[in-house]
Amino acid sequence: MTGLQLVSLAWRNLWRQRRRTLLTLVSIAFGGFLAVLMTALQDRSFADFIDTAARMGSGHVTLQSPEYQDAPSLIHAVAHSDELRSEALKDPRVAQAVGRISGQIMVSTASDSFGALFIGYDPTQETPETFEFADDLVDGALFTAPKQKGIVLGAVLARNLGAELGDKIVFTMTDHSGKMVQNVQRLTGTVATGAPSLDAALCLLPIQTVREAVGYADDETTQVAVFLKDGRNSQRVAAALRAKLGSGVGVLTWDDVQPEIRAFVAMKVGGGRVMEIIIAMLVAAGIFNTIFMSVMERTREFGIMIAIGYSQTQLFLLVILESAILAVLGLFSAIAVSAWPYYYMSTNGLDMSAAYAASGTIEISGVGFDPILRVGIFPENAVIIALVLMGATVLAGVYPAWRAGRVQPVEAINLV
Amino acid sequence: MPQPSGTPVFQFENVTKIYRKGAMETHALRGMNLTVHSGEFVAIWGPSGSGKTTALNLGGALDTPTSGTIRLEGVDLATLSRKALSRLRRDRIGFVFQAYNLIPVLTAFENAEAVLALQGVAASERRDRVMQLLKDVGLAGMEHRRPNELSGGQQQRVAIARAIASNPAVILADEPTANVDSETAEKLLTIMARLNEERGITFVFSTHDPRVMKYARRLVGMVDGAIATDEVKASGE
Repeated sequence: MTGLQLVSLAWRNLWRQRRRTLLTLVSIAFGGFLAVLMTALQDRSFADFIDTAARMGSGHVTLQSPEYQDAPSLIHAVAHSDELRSEALKDPRVAQAVGRISGQIMVSTASDSFGALFIGYDPTQETPETFEFADDLVDGALFTAPKQKGIVLGAVLARNLGAELGDKIVFTMTDHSGKMVQNVQRLTGTVATGAPSLDAALCLLPIQTVREAVGYADDETTQVAVFLKDGRNSQRVAAALRAKLGSGVGVLTWDDVQPEIRAFVAMKVGGGRVMEIIIAMLVAAGIFNTIFMSVMERTREFGIMIAIGYSQTQLFLLVILESAILAVLGLFSAIAVSAWPYYYMSTNGLDMSAAYAASGTIEISGVGFDPILRVGIFPENAVIIALVLMGATVLAGVYPAWRAGRVQPVEAINLV
Repeated sequence: MPQPSGTPVFQFENVTKIYRKGAMETHALRGMNLTVHSGEFVAIWGPSGSGKTTALNLGGALDTPTSGTIRLEGVDLATLSRKALSRLRRDRIGFVFQAYNLIPVLTAFENAEAVLALQGVAASERRDRVMQLLKDVGLAGMEHRRPNELSGGQQQRVAIARAIASNPAVILADEPTANVDSETAEKLLTIMARLNEERGITFVFSTHDPRVMKYARRLVGMVDGAIATDEVKASGE
């Protein structure tokens, strides 16, 4: 008997109980839909979250002084940051590299003082893909040149200081040798990121203003923030840069710099995996039930088939083929069921602003989640879901198939 | 015991079969000795529980004896692996069951063709042989019907066509007329008798249908798991 004939027989067997097969396909499709939706939500939201963290922080990969991570002080500067930027940009996986100076700062007005985090940036190097705050401006203007007068504060910080646009802001920081220096600028803008802790402690300055204040040379920075086309390549790009730049430069990935975000993402991804395994097990249990019932109902028929010359292996293969066909049909059903919701969720998304407003903004380590939930599955995860779905379906058929092959013809034929 | 002419097709040598269920033992066969020769048309008859179906199951390699030896065309079945037994059933034995037992999702043609497909016979040859067989059993024009579209008698004819399709050494028929009306039973027996006459196919029936015994040329009577009578009819009887 050729494989094609066995496939034909398996196909017909599958449709003997049309309603049961259709119900099984619905359960596979629904399981696939849930897995795709969950994974796609997770993939997109964490990718966006990591990208946001990278934009707010120091890139997917950070080049800095080897000592800076343990002692984040302006003493530990990176000289020749333009050369480092050029080296990083040679890697085709790198989208952009920008020099930044960041550190602690004390900002004061006549009425109050607060500690804050400052970022000195070069507006001519930054793009919307690297600079998170471009869309967050609520008042005034952002900088357009590396040397420009003014200071931009987080909206909450400005409010806490009682500062309005045009008011003088005195700021104090340590310089390149660790001495305290002071400067004054007028408030030229406020930003609101949606992350309350950041909005209460953010201070933006033009990079050249900072350099002059702390005594840095023209191409000195505390970091070169490297942004990747795909944030998942951060480990690979970091390894390549480490090999290229040697031990004189500290090369860190976003999760080295922000380990609390790594832990949060890992925990959520782990939880997602557990849910996916539960879904796979539920789907497999449904499929197992269908195929096992179908085999038990055909015990007599299998006895006859053995009597007329089918081998155990052929009966085993027959049932496995039934499972495999169910798996393929299930996969297509899952794709069909998931296609429109996926398209809608990837383009329009689901606006959770109202829910966020009720429960407060979702913020992890100073990074806010986008209140518009969107989906975007990583291709490799889509392949994994397809393989798990098909694998679970085929595996669910193994025991029934084994039972089919072990039928004792005399006992089976005498069944009424 | 009579000694019909022809080569021995299968031989039972002191065969016993005991079914055990818990502490209870049922002796289905008690030292059965029987030789069936090629071309014979044998009816094993007897009351229910006499062991005739057990004998057919053992002869068809569907079950194994508790003791004794069964040979098919000289080969001791006990020496064969499961795979070899599977091949043996496919190539050398044809079965006709009481309840037709066709594969419901296959058409009449495909049911009759199944064994040939298992043997790897080429499609064109399969088609020619099966179409001729279906014509021989009176089912020309019904090739594409599924079992549920055929009457009981028609289904049994398909089963006969399936059984003889592979040119087996012997066809074992377990109460083949039990589920059909008298007229259909006569037709089925006529077909099988003709196939026996024209093609020399060996038939062994288990039955207590007098019509089968009328057609049979050798009657083996069983009582309580043992052969009580073995009678070869005189020609023309």
